Amino acid sequence: MALAPLDTEITLDQLSSDPYPIYRRLRAESPVLRVAATGRTLLTKAALTKAVKDNPDLFSSDDPQTPMRPAFRAHTLMRKDGAAHFVERKAISKALTPKMIKSDWAPLYEKLAEEYVGRLPRGETVDLFSALCGPLAARILAHILGIPEASDAQMQRWSQVLIDGAGNFGWKPELFAISDAANDEMDALFSELEERRRTEPDGSAYSAMLTAPDPIPMSQIHANIKIAIGGGINEPRDALATIVYGLLTNPDQLAEVRAQEAWDRAFEEGIRWVAPIQVSSRRVTEDTELGGFEIPKGDTVMTVQASANRDEDLYEDGESFFVFRDKNPHQAFGNGPHHCAGAHVARRTVGKIILPLLFDRFPDMRLPDPQAVIWKGFGFRGPITLPVVLA
Amino acid sequence: MIKVTYVAPDGTATTLEAEPGSSVMQTAVANDLDGIVGECGGAMMCATCHCYVDPAWQDRTGARSSDEEEMLEGAATEVTEASRLSCQIRLDPALDGLVVHLPEEQH
Repeated sequence: MALAPLDTEITLDQLSSDPYPIYRRLRAESPVLRVAATGRTLLTKAALTKAVKDNPDLFSSDDPQTPMRPAFRAHTLMRKDGAAHFVERKAISKALTPKMIKSDWAPLYEKLAEEYVGRLPRGETVDLFSALCGPLAARILAHILGIPEASDAQMQRWSQVLIDGAGNFGWKPELFAISDAANDEMDALFSELEERRRTEPDGSAYSAMLTAPDPIPMSQIHANIKIAIGGGINEPRDALATIVYGLLTNPDQLAEVRAQEAWDRAFEEGIRWVAPIQVSSRRVTEDTELGGFEIPKGDTVMTVQASANRDEDLYEDGESFFVFRDKNPHQAFGNGPHHCAGAHVARRTVGKIILPLLFDRFPDMRLPDPQAVIWKGFGFRGPITLPVVLA
Repeated sequence: MIKVTYVAPDGTATTLEAEPGSSVMQTAVANDLDGIVGECGGAMMCATCHCYVDPAWQDRTGARSSDEEEMLEGAATEVTEASRLSCQIRLDPALDGLVVHLPEEQH
């Protein structure tokens, strides 16, 4: 068996500005491809990405060399397997279950969404991305985590700094200096709040982890909160912006979504169409085979869920935003043990609360120039501006 | 082949044939059955494959593990004595004919 073909032409800039034509070509021609610019073997078909995520023994999340470690000043659950991952995951996931969210948190989310949507100025052109999507995602997350004392701006800055540090594959010291400073700020806040969250449990993730009968070490409690900050703002922010874009550029679908109150389906379609987290990496633990090619031990494969979500084997015209698909078995939340812990929160907040509220308040909202919307990102992707007229 | 019957909240029953060793969740997902999502693929991380085992079968499907118990706490609908995560019910010939009931929702 041969190694997968090697591509030396695809650039990171191309993947960041518009990866979709490339992925479409790869699905047809080279679904298993070593891409030199990424240093990884890209998998672009849904069956391959799912098979990898569902087999953590062969495709490990544990990466001893990850820049996440210095960026988060911890070995986090994202980069652990098996029991080590499970115990830390369980500690935080208790606060993120559908039941907790529905019964304990929904009224607060609704209040926050009303407050943030309510302060948007009617009749003006507003960049929804910076005026709503980011700050509201940050506020909701701060409450879920049990650190509402942090400001929206702090939450968003920490999140971006952690992401930049985690992606610092060039190991630039100046980026780690910035993440060190943010870690100091976060650690100080968490320590300051610890006593209160312990003695007055509030159902937040921090309280749940602190008051568990057999708590995980304090270092890992901090690490879990940081992972949630790094991984819990961009995704709902980008999902919301993507779905609003999809609906505003397809007015017939928007009308139908409204009529059927199918906001949850619009949510699923938005994250299928442009998955906020586009790719993940896994380390190969034994020589194996994927799609007819030899995959050697030690290789790093990259599952491109962005591409899997448009796979012709599963979707008719997957390149288009179409809310009313028969089936939508997307992989935007991943699958396997690392399946997104925030999936329920995202579905409820964005799909069931924010979208209907936003379109109810601004029924004639429009996107004057869809071409002016800039999309960006290879690892994380979404519109980075969304200038809409609020009416 | 092992047969499993899934009863939807409206009473509609669907009988599927399962491979020995596969789970109640996997069998449903492989056949595109509505009502079982199984988003995490059976890693006990999502509680979207919740089902209620028919009283006639509860002895044979066995007990819930403590990890399953904890994850079930997060299920979207009411958890009862009959509740199981269907990814944790492995099918063997002794379970041929198994009947499970599906909840109203999984998210």
